Order: sequence, then structure tokens, then C-alpha cells
Amino acid sequence: MHNNAAAGIAPQFDDAEQQRTAANLGIWLFLATEILFFGVLFAAYAITRVRFPDAFAAASRLTNLPLAGVNTAVLITSSLSMALGVHAARHGARRALIGWLSLTVALGIAFLAIKAVEYRIDYLEHLVPKLDFRYEGSQADQVELFFYMYFFITGVHALHVLIGVGCIATIAVMASHDKFSPAYYTPVDVTGLYWHLVDVIWLFVFPILYLVSRA
Amino acid sequence: MTKHAETRPMVYILVWLALMVLLVLTVGSAFMPLGSAHTPVNLAISVTQAALVMLFSMHLSAAHPLLRVIALIGFFGIAIMITLSLFDVLTR
Repeated sequence: MHNNAAAGIAPQFDDAEQQRTAANLGIWLFLATEILFFGVLFAAYAITRVRFPDAFAAASRLTNLPLAGVNTAVLITSSLSMALGVHAARHGARRALIGWLSLTVALGIAFLAIKAVEYRIDYLEHLVPKLDFRYEGSQADQVELFFYMYFFITGVHALHVLIGVGCIATIAVMASHDKFSPAYYTPVDVTGLYWHLVDVIWLFVFPILYLVSRA
Repeated sequence: MTKHAETRPMVYILVWLALMVLLVLTVGSAFMPLGSAHTPVNLAISVTQAALVMLFSMHLSAAHPLLRVIALIGFFGIAIMITLSLFDVLTR
């Protein structure tokens, strides 16, 4: 038992494997609720888009594709550095772990910064509903509806990125205090899974908001 | 339950490469004259990307079946939600 405690295994678990299994089950249950949470937004989007296809096509053309494309690449790359971080943790490579986690944090912050620039451009182009929305074409109300969804979906996603950055930074500090070992790196593993899911969600958000009608 | 089969770093790099290529494809397809096929193409690419991340980066390919079922429940829930909602809108 004393050995277990020293290896970072909580008293209710028999061994590291059982503890890891329980943690994985827990995080996947949480991720399933996250998928459902974003699912509601996707369902609302699907219904409104089916009702107003032309307005959604016109509105989507007003979104900033170059910045969003770059941001997608940034997020995909951050997922790679996170995966390599988890790999380093599994092998007890502390310096590599801290390095990969720091890179992931930097890429997460870059994503948020680019998103902020994008929001600013949207504002200057009078695309923010209620605040300063202006649209000269037909179906202005429906175009505004698209932008309600655009800001809500990307906003909630950005919040998830922000939370992820906070978690990863915390894990990096824990790693620098030598809290992890090949027998115990559950926080790294679990945070990695969360970060990958935030990436997966964006991979759906990107085409439905930015690529509706570009041809 | 999750006998962690080791995923080699090369796999993560290949997944990253595939995701980047698919990103270029999905953006590129949006500018091609595909008519009503745009959205199905975009979504098929997104599903492929999501599958790559979940199978390899998130280790579902080597995970216990229970974890895979839980991972799929969320997507199954979305499918039901969207399909049943559209029954209403599309049949008005």
C-alpha cells in the first residue's frame, strides 16, 4: 500500500491500471456530454439553415475564411503537440513534457488571439447582431440569425479553448514540480483527451460556418 | 481495461499530416462547382478528420469497447436530435 501511495495511486484503487481505467471512463463520459452540448447547437443550426438556405449561404460568405483556415491549422497542430506531450509523460520525459505542453499553450493562445482579431474585423464590418448589425441585401433578419449562431457557437468553442489553455498550463506547472511519472500521469492523459475533443468540435464548426457557399 | 498499446509518435505526425491535407481539401472543395454536393463533401471530410483524431490521438483504436461505446453515444444522440428535428421542418 505504501508503494501505491508513493506511485501516486489513490487508496481506492488496486493498481495504476485500474486507476487509469477509471479516469478514462470518467473523462469519456464527460466528453460525451460535451458532444451532446455542442450537438444542440448543431441541431439548431441545421434547422435554421434548412429553413433559410439562401440567407445562410450569403451570410457565410461574409465570414473571414483566411483567418479561420489558419486557425484550424493552428488547432490541428496544437493537437499534435498535446499528443506528443502525453507520449513524453508516458515515458517519464519531464523536459519534453514541459516543452510540448508549453507549445500547446502557446498555440491555444494563438488560436484565441486570431479569433479576437477576427471578431474585431466582424465588428468593423457591422456583422455583430444587436450591437451594430447592418446588412443591405435581402433577408437581413435571417442573415442576422446566422450571425447569432456564428457568435454563439464560436464563442462557446473559444471558451472551451480558454479552459483548455488554463488546464494545460496547470499541468505544465505540475510537471515542473515533478508530479508525474510513467506510473501516474492521469492529469496529462485526461487533459489531452479534452483538448483533442475541442479540436474535433472545431473540425465541424469550421465547414458549417465558413464554407457554406464559396463557389 | 485499457491495456495501453503504445502509439508511436510517428502515428501522431501522420495523423497531423492527414488532417492538414484534409483541411486543404475541404477548403478547396468549397471553391469548386459541386452544386448541392458541397455540404456532404465538407461533412464527409470532417467526419474523416474526427475519426482520425478519435481513433489515434485519443487512442480509441486500442481502447476498451466500453470507452468506444461511450464515445459514440454522444454522436448517436446528435444524429437522433438532428434527424427528428428535421422531420418537422422538412415536412411543413
